[in-house]
Amino acid sequence: MKKIYLDYAATTPVDKEVSRKIEVFSEDKFGNPSSLHSFGQEALFAMDHSREVVADFLNCKRKEVYFLSSATEANNLAVFGVLKKRNDPHVIASPIEHKAVLEPIKRSGASFDHLPVSSDGIVKKEKLKELIRENTVLVSIGYANSEIGTLQPLKEISEIIREENKKRKEKIIFHTDAVQAANYLSCDVQSLGVDLLTISGHKMYGPKGAAALFIKEGVDVSPIIYGASQEKGLRPGTENVYAIAGLAAAIEVLDKNDNERTEELRDRIVRGVLSELPDAKVNGSMKDRLPNNINFTFKGAEGESIMIALDREGVAVSTGSACASNSLSPSHVLLSLGLSHEEAHGSIRVSLGRFTTKEEVDFFIEKLPSIVNKLRMISGK
Amino acid sequence: MITEKRANKKRVLVGLSGGVDSSAASVILKEKGYSVTGIFLEFWEEGACCNSQAQERARDVCRRLNIPFYVLNVKREFKERVVNYFLESYKKGETPNPCVVCNKEVKFRTLVEKLISFDSDYIATGHYVRKDESGDDVRLLKGADKKKDQSYFLWNIKKEWLPSILFPLGELKKEEVRNIARRHDLPVANVRESQEVCFVDGSMKRFLKNNLGGESGDIFDKEGSFLGRHNGLFHYTIGQRKGLGLSGGPYYVLFKDLKNNQLVVTKDEKDICKKELFFKDGNFIRRERFPFEAEVKIRYNTQASKAIVEEEKVTFLKPQRAVATGQSAVFYKGEELIGGGVIK
Repeated sequence: MKKIYLDYAATTPVDKEVSRKIEVFSEDKFGNPSSLHSFGQEALFAMDHSREVVADFLNCKRKEVYFLSSATEANNLAVFGVLKKRNDPHVIASPIEHKAVLEPIKRSGASFDHLPVSSDGIVKKEKLKELIRENTVLVSIGYANSEIGTLQPLKEISEIIREENKKRKEKIIFHTDAVQAANYLSCDVQSLGVDLLTISGHKMYGPKGAAALFIKEGVDVSPIIYGASQEKGLRPGTENVYAIAGLAAAIEVLDKNDNERTEELRDRIVRGVLSELPDAKVNGSMKDRLPNNINFTFKGAEGESIMIALDREGVAVSTGSACASNSLSPSHVLLSLGLSHEEAHGSIRVSLGRFTTKEEVDFFIEKLPSIVNKLRMISGK
Repeated sequence: MITEKRANKKRVLVGLSGGVDSSAASVILKEKGYSVTGIFLEFWEEGACCNSQAQERARDVCRRLNIPFYVLNVKREFKERVVNYFLESYKKGETPNPCVVCNKEVKFRTLVEKLISFDSDYIATGHYVRKDESGDDVRLLKGADKKKDQSYFLWNIKKEWLPSILFPLGELKKEEVRNIARRHDLPVANVRESQEVCFVDGSMKRFLKNNLGGESGDIFDKEGSFLGRHNGLFHYTIGQRKGLGLSGGPYYVLFKDLKNNQLVVTKDEKDICKKELFFKDGNFIRRERFPFEAEVKIRYNTQASKAIVEEEKVTFLKPQRAVATGQSAVFYKGEELIGGGVIK
């Protein structure tokens, strides 16, 4: 059976070119960057090069780029690292943020307000101003949502924060999780106006195990783990040179992504599915959306069952985010858009990528309706 | 592996500062066919010269040139031999020259000493000086770029080190050096020049005050009339005119009376001019029989003046202004650096 992968938002395969570029770091140039001998030098040079590439991608200084093991770790550092030295801090984030942002905020003990989202999954930026308090220290809004692919107006938000900061001695820090966006949208931190930004290698055709956090010069972030002085003491622990070089290599071949082609395939799926299943609903704005993301709700059919049935046909999709899909509670993102529990349960996410073909898309379009219809019959709805 | 095979290539250790000169020196040596290794000496924690960015730049240069890079920690040596000397000298009322001491006691000494463990043939730096080995004896000459000539700072290095030292920039003009860096896209092409005293980050006044204290006291003229207050004798150099804060000048610093914490100034520039100076700790790159005629330079940014050099004494043909104890008197014959000493 041919296997079709339509879950690029969960993770991407490593691009062959990336693999080729970094294989040298696994068996040959395996040194520890902190070692002073030639093995260490090679690894340190690789770190330097990688940092240069990422800085270039983000349009920031090299010293503003910190490497970590995952986006979750980067987001934890962003949240805890900013809040650590603050007294009675207040944080604002949207309710559709990834758990890797929401959980740290909840556990930090900071007071927390949601910047609400509209029913099509875009934050209501006009509400931000009234939510900002005197003790607000952090605003975290994801660039593109991992489940529904909606794009958030970061520039406008950063403009509001900048205005607010003019009146303040202690500036509000603006963080964005750009993990899903990095493949398709500009991550120029200057034009976005963010202070902190997270990207992750394995969502960009690099290997798992490396992420980067942009920390604008002058923003005070405290370490959350302690050890030696790697990453200027902000992320001690031996660097995963292989994966970090992979993140950089992935960025170097990023222009292989074809936004237009991806968007066409995405719209082909939407058209194809809606013509067979007219009562299917697409969650989230179709206008402000990643070119590779579709999120459907099928009334009367369980997302999990659809996912499993498709998997038996060789097609991999997901229900919500991979990280939340093994929990029984429905997606907090979909609930935030105003979907009922039942609707949220009846949803699947289809995410396309660099290697998705028209044939694969057509196979999915062909298989899905009968699966949904069968499941609906069984559930009697 | 970065390390090149030994083969027949001569190996050279280049002292890298992260600046344009030493970076270009590495390029030149590599293009000449040497097997080059970059060495970054970590002198000091703070200060502009050896901060982590300078180190990163030096590393970038090595990465671009595909040559090995090593960081050597010489913080203890630098503190003991350069910074302590610098402060002691100020305490004695002198105007020290830390670069001269550093070159001999830390920079060149460390690199020369490392030749053995790095199994290398030469060391090299980005100084604008030339070496002439055409005669029986190796000679040290001023740099071809007269504006950049740095031989003044090297009078104190050991003569026996010279055969092992390469100065790739000696024949070049600064602009040519910058162009080399640009042509090779080295990340240092536009780095600003290193500051005067590398380990003083920011204000020298504050650095001296923090380390030496220094009480304010009175300023008198040589007739003994009170003119004003000084804020610590360390801050003044013989011959200094600016920054005295006295009205009715210009006044020049004539003498620092450490015992009474008094500064003596004069209005008469002739008072600060001297025909003679005495020196100690003489070092000679070229052996000359005393007395000999030479051009003698008593500050970096000054013209050399004709003089007769004796064993511990220099007699100028014309009086020199502002001869400051602690600075170096450096002896030249034409282009050649003969030697020097510390002004007493």
